[in-house]
Amino acid sequence: MAKIKSINISGIRGVKNLLTLDFDKKSVLVYGDNGTGKSSITDALEWFYTDGIQHLISEEIGYTKGKGALRNIFIAKDKKSFVEIEYTDGKLNSKKTINDSLYSNHSNNSSEFNELLTRSQSENLILRYNELINFIIAKKKEKLDKLQDIIGFGEVANLRSMLQKNANRLARNIKSANYDNQKSIQQSKIFQNLGQNAFTDEQLFEGANELIKPLDLSFEIKSRKDINNVLKKIETKEDTVLLEKINFLTKVWEALAEIDGNADNIHKDYKTYHAAFEEFQKNPEKIKNLQLLNLLKEGQSILKNDVIQDDYCPLCQQEMSKVQLIQELNTRIEELEQLAEEKTLLDEQAEGLKQLIRLNIITLDSLLKEKLFKKDGYEKLKREVEGIKKSLNTFLEELKKDLSATLTKPGQIEINKKELLALTEQARHNAKTLKETKSSNVKFRVYTRLFQAATAYKDYLRIEKEQGILTNQQITFELLYTDFIRRQEQALNTFLTRFSQEINDYYTIMNPNEKVEDIKLIPIKKDGDLVGITIEYSFFDETKTPPIAYLSESHINCLGLSFFLASVKAFNKQNEFFVLDDVISSFDRSHRYRFAQLLADKFSDYQVLLLTHEKEFFELVSSEVKNKGWLLKNLSWTKEKGTGIERGLADIKERVTKKFVDRNIDGLGNDIRVYTEKVMKRVAFEIEAKVAYRNNDINEKRMAPELLDAVQSKLSKSSKELKTRADIPKIQRMPMFVGNTTSHDNKFQESIEDLDAMWEDIKKLVNHFYCSDCDKFLSIKFYDRVDKKIRCGCGKLKYEWKN
Amino acid sequence: MSEEIKSGKEVIDEFFSEILNVEGVDQKTVEKLVELYGENKLTDRNIQNALEELKQAELETKKSKSDG
Repeated sequence: MAKIKSINISGIRGVKNLLTLDFDKKSVLVYGDNGTGKSSITDALEWFYTDGIQHLISEEIGYTKGKGALRNIFIAKDKKSFVEIEYTDGKLNSKKTINDSLYSNHSNNSSEFNELLTRSQSENLILRYNELINFIIAKKKEKLDKLQDIIGFGEVANLRSMLQKNANRLARNIKSANYDNQKSIQQSKIFQNLGQNAFTDEQLFEGANELIKPLDLSFEIKSRKDINNVLKKIETKEDTVLLEKINFLTKVWEALAEIDGNADNIHKDYKTYHAAFEEFQKNPEKIKNLQLLNLLKEGQSILKNDVIQDDYCPLCQQEMSKVQLIQELNTRIEELEQLAEEKTLLDEQAEGLKQLIRLNIITLDSLLKEKLFKKDGYEKLKREVEGIKKSLNTFLEELKKDLSATLTKPGQIEINKKELLALTEQARHNAKTLKETKSSNVKFRVYTRLFQAATAYKDYLRIEKEQGILTNQQITFELLYTDFIRRQEQALNTFLTRFSQEINDYYTIMNPNEKVEDIKLIPIKKDGDLVGITIEYSFFDETKTPPIAYLSESHINCLGLSFFLASVKAFNKQNEFFVLDDVISSFDRSHRYRFAQLLADKFSDYQVLLLTHEKEFFELVSSEVKNKGWLLKNLSWTKEKGTGIERGLADIKERVTKKFVDRNIDGLGNDIRVYTEKVMKRVAFEIEAKVAYRNNDINEKRMAPELLDAVQSKLSKSSKELKTRADIPKIQRMPMFVGNTTSHDNKFQESIEDLDAMWEDIKKLVNHFYCSDCDKFLSIKFYDRVDKKIRCGCGKLKYEWKN
Repeated sequence: MSEEIKSGKEVIDEFFSEILNVEGVDQKTVEKLVELYGENKLTDRNIQNALEELKQAELETKKSKSDG
């Protein structure tokens, strides 16, 4: 199991200069305003582990897997961007770099690290807000696919499909080959030559011995080798040409008899296909809807990939909840996918028929290669055979037509059975006539018949054997498929039961005393086949599904989080950490608090990188986790450095000073406010000024004025001297502390001179509370009981104080 | 909970280790599938080729036996 010691990022997304996140094997809570680069950290980690950034793929050319937008746009072309991770196990440390040509590589090529990367592909490392609800509102088949992916069942599904595909393919091949027809033709040939059928060697030998009697060979055929010996013995060279003609005509007869035996099946299957095709065409809505399905799927993809980020419909431009829109699209797509299934069945019908026809065409092509077709006297026969082939090709042309075309009616397209039969009979008759031209020559007659009977028997055995082999293979695949389904379902059900319990537990922790309980993931079957998964739960003791119908967005998000956390527990074997990127936006205070408790209590063994842009949540979680060893960090962003870790007051002060030097007013008011807020928070803490409890669910921006109020109130009670010197009301009158939006929203536009004056006043204020000599604030802990004065660490700052 | 749950790979490994015990299956076909899986070559195309080879081999065996 790998834990992280530190992450270094440079030149990736919003991170321009080096950003170091020290984890020291602990969980980290990171606060950063919007635009400070939280997502850059998440993107960098995703790229490190998966070599792509999924949510960026839709924003640029897909083939770079999001890497085209990976490098920070302000870094020099010759500078490499990188993500470097140090693990608790030093052997896993690696630095992944990417240059301007998007060529990237890992510094660590060890098998241990490659194993970590491979395994990380199937682990759950990152959850972003926009991905939170994907599983919950997904279609039932998507849920199944997603779950199967997470638990590594993607391969299971592939194998299952492979077994089924082969069983079906073998069944189709057996049907198309029409082995019974082929065997019947060979038996017919045996009967014509021996006057009896031969299904066994004994029957063949019996017929053969009867046939050779007139030759008086004083020899009994007891094996197929004996038949060959007899044939060699009675063969005469001068009969070769005649025999060749007889064999040729026999082949013509066999091939045409085979087509004749399949013609009924071709006509029957075409009729069935034609009826299904016309049925589909009867409802033009079906065809339109099939086309619409593609559009809806595209829309679904656009919404899921966050190409549209706000709550409105990209087609009609009307305001609409994005979640609701995706849900409605999913429902509509699911309805239309039934149509797509109907169409697939129709296509499969066409494919089966095409295969049958192609096999018959192959038979005719093979026949047409016979060299006697090139000799005089067989041109007409050749044309007729080609005519049959043409009619078979006409069927193939019809089967290629799409739903907008008119399919030729079954009676108007056919293999002319009457002509075919006449041709077959003619070939048989001609072969027989040729045999009889030498009927007075008993030896020739016996030779021809014995040869043809032996050949037909051999072919019969081959066909029967082939049929047996393919049937065995087909049965084998069917049995394996059945066995595998049982195993897959058993494993999936075990997983779903345990997984449901886990999801239910997490959901209940975040939503105690609510009437949603007994959450379960339920497999959906159709015709015995696993086709999807749905979520079921009890709502006021009544079973409900799907979830979105009764749950608020906040509750759906809770379900999404529970699902992710359960996945982490179940499947993160290599990585003992995960990232939660702004996942609580829709949560109210009680949900947030319980979520923080859940993380601290149930995931204390994991490293969590929890990113948030909400100050209140940051404060809430901080109070919950700081005693449990979590590290707390603030992110900041500047044009010069990009994303960086706020090192504290010194950092902000340095930034403000630099802006004055550069006469850069951009965000300066906000920086001064943040600095004042941080200082006053520290002052309030050190002098024990009480801040009134407020349900701070509006925003965090009131905190500076509140702190100033609290400090002023404390000074009124404890130190008139300091109250007079500090002159806090002067600060409170500054625009950035009046009202609640000024500096954050940048609505006021002071000049640099105004801001400079304010900054000087704030520095003066701070100097009354902070001693730069000892780097300490005035503090109650330094209270001098004898002098009744409060002081800094070294005593340079000292004021009268009433406790 | 993870101890009780089988991963996809475990389900597949278990299937192939017990595949010969499935009643009524053709041993040669199954042996070939196990071989392909063991060599990490279990693709649809390889299965089709293997089935065709098995068919031809069996037809040849029969032919030589019957031709005696």
